[in-house]
Amino acid sequence: MGFIRFLGFTLARAGQGFWRNGMMSLAATATVVLMLVLLAGLLIVLGGLDSGLNYIESKVGVTARLVDDVSAQRIEQISAEVEAVPGVAAVEYVSPDEALGRLEEAYRARGQELDTGGAEITLYASLEVALSDPEAGDEVVAALALYPEVERITTRQDQYDTLLGVIGLIRTIGLVAIVLVGLVVVFMVVNTIRIAVYSRSGEVEIMRLVGASDPFIRWPFIVEGILCGLIGAAVTVGLVALAWGPIQPLLVSVFQMPTAVSDQFLAGLAVLLVAVGLVIGALGSWISVRSNLSSAA
Amino acid sequence: MTAPARPLPALPRIGPDTAPVIALTEVGMTYPNGKVALIDVNLEVPAGDFLFLVGPSGAGKSSLIRLLVREQLPTTGRVVIAGSDLAKVRRSQVYRLRRRIGVVFQDFRLLPNKTVTENVAFALEVTGAAGDHIRDRVPRLLGLVGLHEHANHRPSQLSGGEQQRAAIARALVHDPAILIADEPTGNLDPVTSWEIVQLLIQINAMGTTVLMATRNQEVVNAMRRRVVALENGSVVRDELGAAYERGYEL
Repeated sequence: MGFIRFLGFTLARAGQGFWRNGMMSLAATATVVLMLVLLAGLLIVLGGLDSGLNYIESKVGVTARLVDDVSAQRIEQISAEVEAVPGVAAVEYVSPDEALGRLEEAYRARGQELDTGGAEITLYASLEVALSDPEAGDEVVAALALYPEVERITTRQDQYDTLLGVIGLIRTIGLVAIVLVGLVVVFMVVNTIRIAVYSRSGEVEIMRLVGASDPFIRWPFIVEGILCGLIGAAVTVGLVALAWGPIQPLLVSVFQMPTAVSDQFLAGLAVLLVAVGLVIGALGSWISVRSNLSSAA
Repeated sequence: MTAPARPLPALPRIGPDTAPVIALTEVGMTYPNGKVALIDVNLEVPAGDFLFLVGPSGAGKSSLIRLLVREQLPTTGRVVIAGSDLAKVRRSQVYRLRRRIGVVFQDFRLLPNKTVTENVAFALEVTGAAGDHIRDRVPRLLGLVGLHEHANHRPSQLSGGEQQRAAIARALVHDPAILIADEPTGNLDPVTSWEIVQLLIQINAMGTTVLMATRNQEVVNAMRRRVVALENGSVVRDELGAAYERGYEL
């Protein structure tokens, strides 16, 4: 019962304080929203790029175009040898007919028909090497280059490396920006709670004199800061939910993020925003209470 | 100003078998800026005593009160309240001590945005008291100090004397062993001052030790209680049934 009374008292006082200290509470909450919107934006972009990376990673492989008329026995031999290279998941032989079938399918997927103008076309046979380790691309290329039957080797490694570099850069810049904005938010919450402490210094003095324990004096202010963080997080989650409609198709089409993944991503993002709002509000108010509200003596 | 018409309660018995509720032993106190506030103060106050702490401005009365409520710690010596050596009370446990001491001030220190009832109830709410206890205790205290009819008034709607009564009711919420009144009549007219002193006597008669710091000579002279006089931080006089100044005759 004692804890429930403490909880009730703390929540009621924090709510009153948030309301009475309206302008400052609003300003602190607005900065929390600003920071969390930035964080959400960064995470959405990074999430999309990560998905794109996964997509490319799944497609990363090495394709070796073969010269004409390689015997089936030789193809089997080369396949077996390449498959033994570390980092290789599988080697698949694609015959000229299969290659043509794929091309026609790709056209149909775009709502078109492959039009050869009546001419018969022959595509090259190839070996498609899937990698279990994307870093093994160079070794596979080197191994394939030793075979005279291999005419040309193509790889997506460069594309993968470029995207990896872009993600790293965005992540670094984004994190630095978020840390800087986070510091501003903590500063705002610290000041909001400091003003709350000063405006209620009379009450605090009376509380001490009549024997209120430290938790009864301090926690309402800490919860007031947490309220700034949580309300800011709720507003941000609302904004993201509103924007999610236009964003989702973008994630699916641009970054190849599957729809199911993007829905999970939104749920995870909402939880993260609430957690960050809570932590930053608590941190700011805790710092403020520690420095502006000396303990009972 | 006239002395109270009704007979005063008997003086509390002071003797070796009465354990002091306040005991200061060779207490010295110097503020961080170097100002010496108290020098070698020895004082024993038995439970149920009523004493006046007198002295001019800057004599050390307020510093002594700060020590008693543990807003400050002595630089030297020992302060023991109700058996607890204040230097040994952990900071996190100071609140327990303060529930045993009620304090009222010259400026009342009521919360202006709360009614009388809310001001008194606030002192219980902030210590986690149950709602039933608050609803039972607050009206009884308001009855004791004669503020029943003003229960729903805010401080700005009350006279100075009524505000001081509200402050006394708040100081009594935890049924303290000691009531410290720091110049409680300093802002009041003579008639109201007497009413407040009468109330303090009534509270003392119910068993609460009362220490009243004052410069109100008429009240001290009329009451003839124990008087502890401070000057320049030292106790210069500690007399039973005494007047404000040495050698004063009624």
